[in-house]
Amino acid sequence: MEIFEIIRMPTLATCLLLPGLLVYLGLHVVKREVIFVDLALAQVAALGICIALLQHHEPNDWQTFAWSLSLTLAGAAVFAVTRTRDRVVPQEALIGIVYVVTAAAAILVLNKTEHGAEGLQHTLVGDVLTVQARDLWHTIPVFAFVAAVHVLFRKKFLLLTFEPERAEAQGISARWWDFLFYALFGLVVTSFVRIAGVLMIFSYLIVPAVCASFLVQTLRARLLVGWAIAALASLAGLYGACLPAIDAPPGPAIVCALGIVLVIAGAARALRNRVAREK
Amino acid sequence: MNKTTCTNLLVGTVRRAVLNLSQTARPAVAPYLLAFVAALLLPFAAHADKLNVVATTPDLAAIAREVGGDRVDARSLAKPMEDPHFVQAKPSFIVALNKADALIEGGAELESGWLSALLDGTRNRNITAGAGGRIAIAPRIEMLERPRELDRSHGDVHASGNPHFLTDPENAKIAAREICEAFCKLDSASADFYRDNLGKFTARLDARLADWRKTLAPFKGARIAAYHNTWAYFARRFELNIDLFLEPKPGIPPSPAHLASVVKTMKSDNVRAVIVEPFQNRKTAESVASQTGARVVDFAQHPGGVKGTEGGYIELLDYLVATLAKALNAK
Repeated sequence: MEIFEIIRMPTLATCLLLPGLLVYLGLHVVKREVIFVDLALAQVAALGICIALLQHHEPNDWQTFAWSLSLTLAGAAVFAVTRTRDRVVPQEALIGIVYVVTAAAAILVLNKTEHGAEGLQHTLVGDVLTVQARDLWHTIPVFAFVAAVHVLFRKKFLLLTFEPERAEAQGISARWWDFLFYALFGLVVTSFVRIAGVLMIFSYLIVPAVCASFLVQTLRARLLVGWAIAALASLAGLYGACLPAIDAPPGPAIVCALGIVLVIAGAARALRNRVAREK
Repeated sequence: MNKTTCTNLLVGTVRRAVLNLSQTARPAVAPYLLAFVAALLLPFAAHADKLNVVATTPDLAAIAREVGGDRVDARSLAKPMEDPHFVQAKPSFIVALNKADALIEGGAELESGWLSALLDGTRNRNITAGAGGRIAIAPRIEMLERPRELDRSHGDVHASGNPHFLTDPENAKIAAREICEAFCKLDSASADFYRDNLGKFTARLDARLADWRKTLAPFKGARIAAYHNTWAYFARRFELNIDLFLEPKPGIPPSPAHLASVVKTMKSDNVRAVIVEPFQNRKTAESVASQTGARVVDFAQHPGGVKGTEGGYIELLDYLVATLAKALNAK
């Protein structure tokens, strides 16, 4: 059957296996209310790739990854240092500015690169349809490493995100652990952005977490619901992209599928609230 | 086992499973379940039986149609108005490549950026490197502009030379011959039919080529500007100089400084036309043209890239020659 020939193993791994970590990180990001950090960091990572391309490196070279990662870590440091709760200007403003300026810088950089306009679209759309197993040999170990660190230090990370006052009371250095959080986060984004693209990374991070927060309360429940939603939207997006009438790159199709799931989840929550109120 | 049998087998298995289920569980569910599954599978039904030919670009597909007639089903991956250097991979490409009996590519690294990723992991033995169905035209062509040093700092330089060789009708004849040979090997029953079509196409092309040379003869040696270095072979055939480009280096967008120097050169060399393709920035060409009194000429390397050229390769060249002559004649 054709759809099974179109969607190969690496594509399935990219859409069903790897987003699991993104959903978990998304729960942190949503609770910390720094939604646009991942969009900004993904864009910073993309800028790193663009700079490497300008220097005539191939997308798979280690130099490309190095450029991308260094810029992302610098961005992570900036976001960690500027996270305080008593500020006149919200951190979101800074994050938005970083996003827009790096996006503009990427355009300027690509202006000097052959076929830069296509490169720009590529950073947004990703390469989900034709991703190969060898592209994933770099990405999967990185994801495993970050997941391991999060499991190892889960108490500190969870405390800092979900109960920051208690963390402060316990004398945990917020700046250091925040930087570690954003650095690991940046590592994930850097290794995934070339395959998935900025749009898909942002969507996998935020949408399942938001839907899960609509529907259930405990962390474990939200994680399970988030994973289920990510898997469901991925399959729907892949199926839709392969329909002859649509015939589109899977990345944007999955993003739209996530959007639709969000609407459904929101409606379900509104319905449940109304039913509860009428009792 | 082909795909139709496979699909039927799968549908049959599902149907039997559903019927078994219905006998033990709720019978009312079965028909709905079956209908749902069938609806999911429907869009992926198999296609009819001709020689399935996939070409990377529309010009190759058009020539394949001339040679193959109604015994081949030729489709192009790149669309006529798309930039052939960069084509977004779509699911339908993978479907087409999996079913293809033959894959025709220019083969001078024009498609290398996007074709190899699509072919990686294909199970179709017809079109793997060296297979009978894998047709590359460039090895048969006398390539222009082979670089002496390979260095990406010069822009997007193609190692085998300028890949846009089909802009010269003589190369189209070579391509048609190559394609005919391959078709004859793949489908020997229709060999006479293919050779007959090749003969007709070549004869028509030769006759039109004489007319085209006559039309462009008054402009021998004229210097013409173009957005990208697409027309080197066309220029050689019709003895024109299409060697002034709006791109500072191949693939790099025009910069204000470079455009200023282009305008200066156009004025001093009396350049009367600026060639632009559908996927290129026409406003840039218009700006340059307005500063120099030249005309913007809408060209395309693919049939269907400009209105009136959908008919095929010869119709495309008819249009290109006529349009260029008109622009160069204009006061």
